Amino acid sequence: MAKFFKMVFSPIVFGVLFLAPLIAQSMTAAGLQIFALPNLIVGLFIGGGLGLMAHYRGSWIWIK
Amino acid sequence: MDQVTQAVNWDEVSAEQLDAMERKIAAKYIKKFPLGIIIWGFANTLIWLALWPLVILGLLPIWAAFPIAVVNVCAAYLPSHDAQHSIIAREGHKLRWLNELLGHVSLIPFAQSFRYLRFTHFEHHAHTNNPDLDPDFDVHAENRKVYFRNALMRKQPINATRKDLYSAALERVGKSAVAVDAIAIRTVYTLVLFVAACSGYAIEAALLWWLPLHIADIYIPYYLSWKPHHPGTDQGRYQDTEAFKSTFGNLVSSGMQYHVVHHLYPRIPLMHTPAAFREMRPILLRRGCDLRGM
Repeated sequence: MAKFFKMVFSPIVFGVLFLAPLIAQSMTAAGLQIFALPNLIVGLFIGGGLGLMAHYRGSWIWIK
Repeated sequence: MDQVTQAVNWDEVSAEQLDAMERKIAAKYIKKFPLGIIIWGFANTLIWLALWPLVILGLLPIWAAFPIAVVNVCAAYLPSHDAQHSIIAREGHKLRWLNELLGHVSLIPFAQSFRYLRFTHFEHHAHTNNPDLDPDFDVHAENRKVYFRNALMRKQPINATRKDLYSAALERVGKSAVAVDAIAIRTVYTLVLFVAACSGYAIEAALLWWLPLHIADIYIPYYLSWKPHHPGTDQGRYQDTEAFKSTFGNLVSSGMQYHVVHHLYPRIPLMHTPAAFREMRPILLRRGCDLRGM
């Protein structure tokens, strides 16, 4: 059970399951595309990256 | 209306008489039934819930729904706050169920647990501005700029210490079990965001709940905790809370200009604190309250 809650509230999971689709869907809505990459890949890269930073550095915005 | 403080020669009033007058005014307002806040609490949640199908079915554009959702989430706490203090109905009253229902339902947009907030809030009242015991003490900041900076920093995983302050408060009063409510509600909130985002509704979830909640999380403590208790150094019945004049008026400041009355008499309904304040004002001045020109 503790493992489940740790996963739900993990910044990495939040980055992948929420920020990544949010970035991808926002790009699609705005008609944006980067280097012909699928927007979900871009979203996963940015969202996952932010999640990793939040997890290991303890901050979503670098400064802490 | 019967004004308790009308035609009083203040120079001849003893401390005991001041006390009696203050209590008489408070009793008058405590008796009033807070119908307005009940309608507010249920209507606010209903409007916020309605935004989801309206946006998803394309009946309301998301740009129009977003500001409504921000207002809904920011307005979600106060009806529950009245319910926390059992203002609608005390334990044993036939309308007690309504008090508790309002407390739970009004907090849905704010994704918080009624019981968790109630018991930690009681500790805030019991130990206002006490650095060791006030669970809201971490909001204190020397000025507005520092408040907003701290609020942003508190959102970072490394600084998320509020839950520890709240857990400590709950442990002191033997209510640690209610933390389960908070964890369950936050889990549901997070899972809703994940499911919505992965189903193609990430923008809707972000603008109807995620972003409004972040805004409310900064707005609500600003007016309910920081502003009326600033600078947060004084303790004591007439010293720990101040009145203030908000640039944005009483509505935008969530009625907190008169928060001093709430800390003296927590069972006066929010919507009646301005009238109670105006009537109590001469007494509060003699008690040494800082009314900041109000």
